[in-house]
Amino acid sequence: MYQVQIKSQQQVIVKKHTRLLKLLNDCKRFMVTQKIGFASILIIFFTIVVAIFAPIIAPYDPIDQNRDAFLDGPSLQHLMGTDDLGRDVFSRIVYGARISMVVGFGSIFLSLIIGTILGMVSGYFGGITDMIIQRLMDAILAVPALILALFIAALLGPSVVNVIIAIVIVSTPQFARIVRGEMLRIREMNYVEASRSIGANAFRIIFKHGLPNMLAPIIVVASLGFGSAIIAEASLSFLGIGTPPPNPSWGLMLSDASRYMESGPWLVIFPGLALAVLVLAFNLLGDALRDFLDPKLSS
Amino acid sequence: MAEYIIRRLFYGVIVLFIMITFIFVIMRAVPGDVVLLQLSDTGNISEEQVAALKTELGLDKSVAGQLFDWLKGAIQGDLGKSLWSNRSVNEMISARLPVTLELTFLSSIIAILIGIPIGVISAVKHNTFIDQLLRLLSIGGISIPNFWIALVLLTFLSLVFNWIPPLGYQSFMENPVVNIQQMILPAICLAITLCASIVRMTRSAVLEVLHSDFIRTVRSKGAIERIVIYKHALRNSLISVITIIGLQIGSLLGGAVVIESIFSLPGLGSLIFESVNSRDYPVVQASVLLFGAMYLLVNLIVDITYGWIDPRIRNS
Repeated sequence: MYQVQIKSQQQVIVKKHTRLLKLLNDCKRFMVTQKIGFASILIIFFTIVVAIFAPIIAPYDPIDQNRDAFLDGPSLQHLMGTDDLGRDVFSRIVYGARISMVVGFGSIFLSLIIGTILGMVSGYFGGITDMIIQRLMDAILAVPALILALFIAALLGPSVVNVIIAIVIVSTPQFARIVRGEMLRIREMNYVEASRSIGANAFRIIFKHGLPNMLAPIIVVASLGFGSAIIAEASLSFLGIGTPPPNPSWGLMLSDASRYMESGPWLVIFPGLALAVLVLAFNLLGDALRDFLDPKLSS
Repeated sequence: MAEYIIRRLFYGVIVLFIMITFIFVIMRAVPGDVVLLQLSDTGNISEEQVAALKTELGLDKSVAGQLFDWLKGAIQGDLGKSLWSNRSVNEMISARLPVTLELTFLSSIIAILIGIPIGVISAVKHNTFIDQLLRLLSIGGISIPNFWIALVLLTFLSLVFNWIPPLGYQSFMENPVVNIQQMILPAICLAITLCASIVRMTRSAVLEVLHSDFIRTVRSKGAIERIVIYKHALRNSLISVITIIGLQIGSLLGGAVVIESIFSLPGLGSLIFESVNSRDYPVVQASVLLFGAMYLLVNLIVDITYGWIDPRIRNS
């Protein structure tokens, strides 16, 4: 009797943590099979750390002007040189990571949530709701993304929040579309029919059956979306309708740099390099995730 | 086939209409009154001045009224007048449109002509060093912001070769040499992202096709490898490639805005940018409408090309 009891206690413990164990196992497998993806995660993590600990890492204040050190090249005192107002470029890049990360994560998470809700409602309930939501998404998709984002951000005025709003509006349709497609597919599954026949309501079906089965494409699109969001913020700031000066947005730094191309080429190189590396990391991660999750997707 | 095209056009017009209404309403709902902006130079603003300017510009009617007026005019081909310079919007746009069209056209051609062969090579030399290198380059291509490449190229050219593109835009008709000099750099910068997407898509599509059964049949009947690749494999992967081109033209049009600003090209992109900042409603509406219409047209052409390329779709 005693032995049987112990065994069943162990079984209970393993059963309680099955989902977590499976997740950890998946992560381990990802790290082993997708080495590039893992490297990208490290880069992104590194950027997050830099963004959070910016005040400690940056040697100077990013908006502190120093008229003596005007357009200095990279040196021991200023690792990446100074700009036309004497501000240390390295410190500005470090603080700029904050802006890119906040805009990237903020806008994609928001558009993911809104898009997923819209897609689930649209896909599950169908009918007029579906039609209205879909027409709205199509209208947003009809205009090229940057142009619509430009339009919204320019109207609302230069600020980080407005940039996030613009990017959210532009990015939501892609999530809505994917989720709606998945929902339509899942709706016809046997387990959904079974759930419905024992009286599960719509809410329960959507969240318990729908959501877990559509996580994979959502994750891939989100990861690629981060890269686009960061570039969108940089583009808008470059045009002057994104993050307002003197905030050290990388796009804004590039716009300042465009006036000093000959006298200060380092001003052009470093912010762009930072952007390129970060976006590259997100794109590589998205690719790796897609490769990793694909066999599961095509079941 | 014709029925399909007409249905798609009709649907596209509805979507454009929704979008225009959306934009119309948003422009007027957001702070930044164009009347106050215009009058702010003259100092003290009196009530009568504001009212008079409003009536003159037609802004005193309700939003719905204004929308109706504009639509009525648009259908007849009259897109209104600029609120700032009183020039006809048609005239402003038709002056700028060719520039953007030429830029977009050049970029697409460069991207397609370079991208497809590279994608094919990458697929054929699957898993070799060349393949890995090309894959890395193509992911780099879609990640790197194109305006950064533009700045780096300009910096490099001016520092190393002491050359900058000629200022003062001249159209192709006026002076082809200067025009190409002005267009080539922006076209290349815009083309990079599209080219990278094409390479990736071509590679994965050709790879998939190369492993299929009918290719094995073609090979076993003794065809030379080159014919196998270009005549059989490529044809069948064209659908995916064309899809991606259609989708990416949207980001090409968007990128044109930034690139036109950097290279000071008087195109539609820079027009939209200037007019949004000055709240020039008619110009913005017309430009956004035009961009939307172009994007719609490109996607429609893509869909029609599907039918032309793949007889299975044509006959379904």
